[in-house]
Amino acid sequence: MTITDKIPPPAPAAHTTRDGAHWAKPVDRLSAQVVGAGVDSVTGKRVANPLQGFGQMWQKTFRVPLEGSTMSPQEVIVIWKERFATFWPKAGRFYAPLAGIVPGEVALLDISPMPGSPVTLSTGVMVIYADDESFTFISPQGHMFSGWITFSAYRDGDMTVAQVQALERTSDPFDELGLMFGGRRMMETFWRETLGNVARAMGTMEPAVVSEAVCVDKRRQWRQATNVRNSATLRSMRHMLTAPARWITGRS
Amino acid sequence: MDERRFGAEVTEIPDEVRMRLSGDLNARADETLAAAYERVVALGPRRVSLDFGHVGYINSTGIALVVRLLAEARRDGRAVRAVGLTEHYREIFRITRLSDFMEIVEGDAA
Repeated sequence: MTITDKIPPPAPAAHTTRDGAHWAKPVDRLSAQVVGAGVDSVTGKRVANPLQGFGQMWQKTFRVPLEGSTMSPQEVIVIWKERFATFWPKAGRFYAPLAGIVPGEVALLDISPMPGSPVTLSTGVMVIYADDESFTFISPQGHMFSGWITFSAYRDGDMTVAQVQALERTSDPFDELGLMFGGRRMMETFWRETLGNVARAMGTMEPAVVSEAVCVDKRRQWRQATNVRNSATLRSMRHMLTAPARWITGRS
Repeated sequence: MDERRFGAEVTEIPDEVRMRLSGDLNARADETLAAAYERVVALGPRRVSLDFGHVGYINSTGIALVVRLLAEARRDGRAVRAVGLTEHYREIFRITRLSDFMEIVEGDAA
């Protein structure tokens, strides 16, 4: 045996865990614990990253300078996490996890998949990352987008800026069609309104939201078209169409 | 925060190009990583290895940059593998399911 065999292995360098507390732990299947949501279509699903979707991959960025606000990025993120649901436009409902927006927690949400749609899409998100300047949601299988969205705040000169940045693909061909027929504009309006609400809550009287969209990959991944079997859009549509039958038979 | 400047060193080795990443992989790494991938494209290998052995911090924006690079490499028909990942970063690659799309090489970079 050599001397070196008796020397314990070096402890992992401190820098390897600087981000450790900010990331969720790996889970095979998601599990939601929220109050008030009607339908939990997320529990049992896996997460879906932007590479697992069907449509073109886009990076969409929305940002608003918090003019007139004295809040630091950290203060903005504290309030954003605490009151996340209240900043959403009326077109959607966000059911926050019982434990709040912390890594590993799952939230449920109801949104309209396209303008004027009689169908409400029930889906959710998992908090995959959270630190004191940002937090990120990843979508589950069946969500209309495969990808993640990061909410952050940072300093630009002497002003704090709030930002929403998504990296995503539509999950299946139906979702891609929905995006082409009004969904894209609806999502743009949704996040502009959200950021406007955040800015007003931080003390900005007239929020000026700017947006930018970059197509990262213009190809559609036809091998992922089978994602349609998990589609929350189709499941929600089926749930709505069969509602009269359930009402007649007295089943929920 | 004790932030470390991000770096990306591109080296041509037999059968592949290695991108040795160092420092903090966050939003500020965007331009450096993009420039490094442009150099990879110019060299035109069939495979690129991302060496994370000297990366000390990755946030969600940093992972998004890796996804963008991965998407571009797949578009170009280039295989991507990750080397030098600590157990912690292998976990992150598992939870984000990036490991479904790239080979994860155990241990240190060769």
